[in-house]
Amino acid sequence: MSATTADRPAAGGRRRSSRARRRLLGTIGHRVLVALLLVYLLAPFVWMTVYSLYPATALQTLTPDLDPRQIRLDAYLGMLSDPSFLVPMANSAIVGISTTIVCMVLGSACAYVIARYRFRGRQTLLLGMLTVQAVPVIVLAVPLFILLRAFGQYDTLLGLVITYTAFILPLVVWMLVGFFEELPPSLERAAIIDGCNRLQIMTRIAVPLAAPGLAATAILAFITSWSDFFLAKVLTISNATTLPVRTAAFQGLFAMDYTAAATAGVITAVPVLVLALVAQKWIIRGLVEGAVKG
Amino acid sequence: MADIELVGVQKDYGRGRKAVRAVHDLSYTIADGDFVSLLGPSGCGKSTTLNMIAGLEDITGGEILIDGRRVDDLDPDKRDLAFVFQDYALYPHMDVRDNIGFGLRMRKVDKAETERRVVDAARRLDIEHVLGNRPRNLSGGQRQRVALARAIARRPKVFLFDEPLSNLDALLRDQTRSELKLLHAELGATSVYVTHDQEEAMTLSDRIVVMSRGRLEQYGSPYDIYHRPATEFVASFVGKPRMNLLPATRVECGRYAVGGSSFTVDVPGVDAERIRLGLRPEECSVQPVGEGEHASGVVKVVEPLGNASDVTLDLGSCLFVVRIPGFTGLTVGDPVLLSAQGATLHCFDPDGGARLTAADAR
Ligand SMILES: Nc1ncnc2c1ncn2[C@@H]1O[C@H](COP(=O)(O)OP(=O)(O)OP(=O)(O)O)[C@@H](O)[C@H]1O
Ligand SMILES: [Mg+2]
Repeated sequence: MSATTADRPAAGGRRRSSRARRRLLGTIGHRVLVALLLVYLLAPFVWMTVYSLYPATALQTLTPDLDPRQIRLDAYLGMLSDPSFLVPMANSAIVGISTTIVCMVLGSACAYVIARYRFRGRQTLLLGMLTVQAVPVIVLAVPLFILLRAFGQYDTLLGLVITYTAFILPLVVWMLVGFFEELPPSLERAAIIDGCNRLQIMTRIAVPLAAPGLAATAILAFITSWSDFFLAKVLTISNATTLPVRTAAFQGLFAMDYTAAATAGVITAVPVLVLALVAQKWIIRGLVEGAVKG
Repeated sequence: MADIELVGVQKDYGRGRKAVRAVHDLSYTIADGDFVSLLGPSGCGKSTTLNMIAGLEDITGGEILIDGRRVDDLDPDKRDLAFVFQDYALYPHMDVRDNIGFGLRMRKVDKAETERRVVDAARRLDIEHVLGNRPRNLSGGQRQRVALARAIARRPKVFLFDEPLSNLDALLRDQTRSELKLLHAELGATSVYVTHDQEEAMTLSDRIVVMSRGRLEQYGSPYDIYHRPATEFVASFVGKPRMNLLPATRVECGRYAVGGSSFTVDVPGVDAERIRLGLRPEECSVQPVGEGEHASGVVKVVEPLGNASDVTLDLGSCLFVVRIPGFTGLTVGDPVLLSAQGATLHCFDPDGGARLTAADAR
């Protein structure tokens, strides 16, 4: 009897320590993997940034010279004062922002209705929205080209906004339905009793409460339309050229201005990067603060 | 001030062949200024009824009148009522002041008046010091008070409560319950209060509506509900410990054997071969069998509660609970004599469970 009671804590201790060691090994392995993944993902971007900052001559040798005194901002200054670059940049910004606004206004109204009202075909509609995402863009590119040209919207910003909205809106709705469904219905009932009509419930209760989710979705919509290359390439030629298309044009057939290409690349990527970080912060905030947990 | 009249109110969920009737043909009137509880087990349609009064659910049949005016086509905010929800339903993105004032602002009450009423409501509920906080920084009890303050600030004709205390711990619940009663006495507005807790219903209410499976079982004062339950369901649902409800068969004229045991009770005035007989545990008594007496049963369980003890007896073919004051010297296995002397006899029809009023005449 006394022997067993004496034995037990020792056995427990042994078990615990071996478990702790295993957990430590697991943690180390996990960290190493994350580090490798980060290097894999970040190295090209870092290298692109380096290329945009140093003169090509300093880099295109066997021993690249990374002396900070060599850093030149000429490429950025030149590019940001060159209309042939600024116009596509403005185009991208206009298209990105407009698409985001249209998607969010239409999307939140749609999503709210789908989240709150039971109607026939609701599930089918939601599934349909996901299915649309599975259609490869390349299948639709040529028909879209023909369609836009027929309506006189080829190579216009409006044409791009409409096209992007068509692609992004279903995804936006799908994401927002999830956010709205999480709001407790009793809040809306309270708002009804307090005298809100349906629109006021949405604008005063549902939207402010789903704000982190809305922000994350808006950022996703913006990033998607800002960084699209393929559709912009097919649907524009000169007037409505966007930043990704312009950036790709630095890749000449015979020669290539690496510094210019890298600079344009960084300028295109920075907003995406910043927004992605912000979106992450919003999403985490939504989770941690438990926005709806009154 | 307002009375609420329900006339043949019905509610079906779903449509066509899939329709389920959640509430059947409710008709009763809640008098002006009364505090009325809707009492019943989970799923019996209490919330549905309350939501129909509030206008949060459409009614499928019948009509609802407040102050003599038909309201079942009015929007909830036109019915002049306030609702307190079980989960409080405070707006997380507004501070307490805005939460309380939101309904007033939506009704375009002017700023100064809103502020005055918000502060007044907060003072009544002792939450003035948290007016600037967000709901998530409040304790459960404080949130409950904010929810109550929000209802009070509106100064509605009717207050509706859907299990407002069930998320509080036991101590806070008792305290808030008495405050609620005081508040009602102060404000005097008609109140409808949903609960599945009979103690809450008994302590708070002027009248109680007992519901079961979407039907009205009884509408009456706490006294009536307790002393003259209209159906077997009400008898079994109200009262703690539960009433002993057992089948009884006639052994001779006016004398019935309970639950097939040797324990018999005189039930004058009833003329049926079989009845359901109800006896409240606290109205019966037990004593150890004396010399030469025939025991009615043996003690099976003794549960001392401090001020009273619940003794479960085995009558041979059924169990019977007796509540006796204080602690008891009885121990498990003791043969005892059960007596229903002086106890109110509750007799019910064995088919259907309606009260046999003939037995009350004596
Ligand atoms: N939206 C709905 N759709 C279909 N059935 C419903 C709906 N709401 C309630 N019901 C059904 O109606 C019946 C009554 O529900 P109700 O919510 O009124 O019960 P309750 O008495 O408030 O119960 P609880 O004490 O659990 O809150 C239940 O059987 C429930 O399943
Ligand atoms: Mg309920």
